[in-house]
Amino acid sequence: MSAKAAAMPASSARSPLAPWLFLSPFLICFGVFTVYPLIQAVLLSTQTTFGPGATRFVGANNFIALFRDPLFWKACSNTLVYTLGSIFIQLPLALGLALLLESPNLRGRSWLRLVLFSPSMVGVVFAAMMFGLIFEKRTGLLNQLLHGTLGIVGIEWDLDFGWLQQHVMLGLIVASLWMYVGFNMTFFAAALQNVRKDLVEAAIVDGAGPVSRFWNVTVPAIRPVAGFVVLMSVIGSFQLFELPYIMFSSSAGPDNRALTIVLYLFQNGFEVGDLGYATAIGWALAVILVGCTMVQRLLARGEEAAA
Amino acid sequence: MPRADAPANDGLLPAWLSPGAAVIASLGVLACLALALAPTTASEGRVMWTFARPHYLMYESRVEAWNQTQTPRIDLKLISLPAMERRMMSAFLGGVPSADLIEIERRAVSRSFAGPIESVGFYDLTDRLKQEGLLDAINAPSFSPWTSRGRVFGLPHDVHPVMLGYRADLVEAAGIDVSKIETWDDFARAFSKLQVDANNDGEPDRFALNMWETHNDHLELLLAQAGGGFFDESNRLTVDSDINAHVLATIVTWIAGPNRIAADAPNFSAAGNRLKADGFVVASFFPDWMGDIWKHEIPSLSGKMKLMPLPAWQKGGRRTSVWGGTMLGIPKTAAKTPEQFEELWKFAKELYLSQEFTEILYRQGGIVTPVKKHWSSPLFDEPNAYFSSQPTGRLYINLAPDVPHRNSSPYNTLAMNRVADALVRLAEDARRDKVYDYAALKDRARALLKKAHAQVADQIARNVFIAEPDAAVTATPLQPGAFAPPRPAERGGLVERSETGEGSWSPGTQDDQVAAVPSPASPAAKRSSPRQRGDESRDPQSDMKVGGGA
Repeated sequence: MSAKAAAMPASSARSPLAPWLFLSPFLICFGVFTVYPLIQAVLLSTQTTFGPGATRFVGANNFIALFRDPLFWKACSNTLVYTLGSIFIQLPLALGLALLLESPNLRGRSWLRLVLFSPSMVGVVFAAMMFGLIFEKRTGLLNQLLHGTLGIVGIEWDLDFGWLQQHVMLGLIVASLWMYVGFNMTFFAAALQNVRKDLVEAAIVDGAGPVSRFWNVTVPAIRPVAGFVVLMSVIGSFQLFELPYIMFSSSAGPDNRALTIVLYLFQNGFEVGDLGYATAIGWALAVILVGCTMVQRLLARGEEAAA
Repeated sequence: MPRADAPANDGLLPAWLSPGAAVIASLGVLACLALALAPTTASEGRVMWTFARPHYLMYESRVEAWNQTQTPRIDLKLISLPAMERRMMSAFLGGVPSADLIEIERRAVSRSFAGPIESVGFYDLTDRLKQEGLLDAINAPSFSPWTSRGRVFGLPHDVHPVMLGYRADLVEAAGIDVSKIETWDDFARAFSKLQVDANNDGEPDRFALNMWETHNDHLELLLAQAGGGFFDESNRLTVDSDINAHVLATIVTWIAGPNRIAADAPNFSAAGNRLKADGFVVASFFPDWMGDIWKHEIPSLSGKMKLMPLPAWQKGGRRTSVWGGTMLGIPKTAAKTPEQFEELWKFAKELYLSQEFTEILYRQGGIVTPVKKHWSSPLFDEPNAYFSSQPTGRLYINLAPDVPHRNSSPYNTLAMNRVADALVRLAEDARRDKVYDYAALKDRARALLKKAHAQVADQIARNVFIAEPDAAVTATPLQPGAFAPPRPAERGGLVERSETGEGSWSPGTQDDQVAAVPSPASPAAKRSSPRQRGDESRDPQSDMKVGGGA
């Protein structure tokens, strides 16, 4: 104990209210903006409501209906496809670009980094509208490009090919690749800069080739960052909303092929007005995300134990 | 305590305030000052919300004139429709004030009808409309989107009849006489001549009709024209009706297969406008408000377009439909005394029902007033240069009484989306399996619609308010015939052969229609509304029942 503290009157030092007084700003905010809404959300998910004046307790009916709702499962499956696309296409691509940027022979590294990162500075709404135009049927850039390019080798490309009708998830994944691959690349680039050079040099001395060095030195070194990026991508993907909402003009696309969990929540809560059901969807999403986080933590803990 | 490696404080700041904290604190103070000093636009008088810029521009002069001579002063505000819907619903659900007058679109307002009838946030205007004779003075179908459980909650702004706009230069050059076209079959036969393959790639480069499986608005208007839709007059769900299956199957024969006549030229998009200007599609659906949009967005087609009534689904059938709709309502929180209500009601009538407004509405928006006494105005006989000097106002007015009635259910959009999903699946199944036969398509459509019906029914079943007896007890019956929808046979839509209930629909003839009016014992009669059955007392529990589709 310092001399200053020792000199304080014993009564004020031992006041039982003092810690609570200091904690109170946080506790009040946490209670008002987190705990109370959570309790209300639990209550709301067990009700059918039309404003505060008209509520009916329906017990677990919203959850029962949710599990029987084919559209909810469709939203889950669409979201899962998008998430898998994000993880298995976007993240390896981001890592590959980060490795490319780390290449000592690369010229114009700063310029390339800016180019790759810049799409993530663009708003989702803008990107969604732009990709909507690119994938347009007759006048869209992609169809025109394929028509012109393939036409050179004598293959007729149907200008009316409906990318956003038949390959909805592909369209969303491509748009999100453009937006987020550069963003994730920066995490990997930062992680790659922290790979210990002495280990790499030791591996070279031991005769390890580039692939072996990558798997045995680089990957273990960047694993904590990769785990974080995967977790963030999973959470971000499960919260997908604006991209399909704008790309498909406030709808879930043809035959609900762009319906995601959050979009379904929005439709029920704010278009149909069924707030109880929407809250039940929200809880289902929370459970999924908590599950993903726990799996990731278990995997990370297992790897730490193995190391 | 400052860290040892913190930047040196040169004595300009107190010892306890680091430079970083000083910057953050300064920014905070500046932000608070900016917010506090920012000019606020306090509303004077009564606030009216509108959602469409063209409407705002139309009302400006009217509101200004009102404010110079009348009270209360009206403060007109333009708010985007989604924002308006959120604010309005938040205010209604929370019981707090919003605007004093709300002009809102059909789909956005229907959510306010989802709860108990007494919880609807707008004043019930039914009795006033009756007392002042406005139920008869205004085109009857224009009330239907604002009528919930027999009560009217808004003053109608429009009629929005739909015609078919076509490229007269192309059609007349091909020698097609549109006056001989009565049905969609006639249209398909006549206009398919215009489908040419200019670049010899085996595919037409021009199609007769702008229609695609993703055009939900077009689908909805075609269903309404045929007498189908999502709810009947008793608010029973009819998603899986035979008429709907017929319409879906017919649309797929238009958009897929060897006899395809339709293509996708999206509305309200630059890409779609270019396709229309290039003549990729010859005919498009034209509600009265659409002409003004084309004039501004596709001026190159001025003098090349003409309008014709929609081809009917069968000879003698309805030659129009309806697309869009707006109402003006008075929120309950806006008027706490009868005098306050009277002030707002007076302005609402002045704005919507006057002869001056009729002229502004037509001249600036191409929109036909729902006030029948103004229909005789020579204004509507003026030639419209964009449409090859046709008197478009008169053409729309001639069709206005035949506009189909619509339902105000809060589940309309949901039902629409599910039916649209069914159409997409049907079209894709047809293309995948190369099955374009009408009968096979209709069978498949029935199955898809049945699934869609079940999904919507499940959703509706979760709303305990609409089906509850106390939810509708305050609803009193309308005067018989006040604006009760006519029976299907009278409306000119398709009629189901309801006697069997086995989906044995056929397009039929006029005789068929008469024969198909349900007998009291038939399933269709059991589904029909008390008004249809001639009952003057409505069964409040009949509202929004699930099931009962064909």
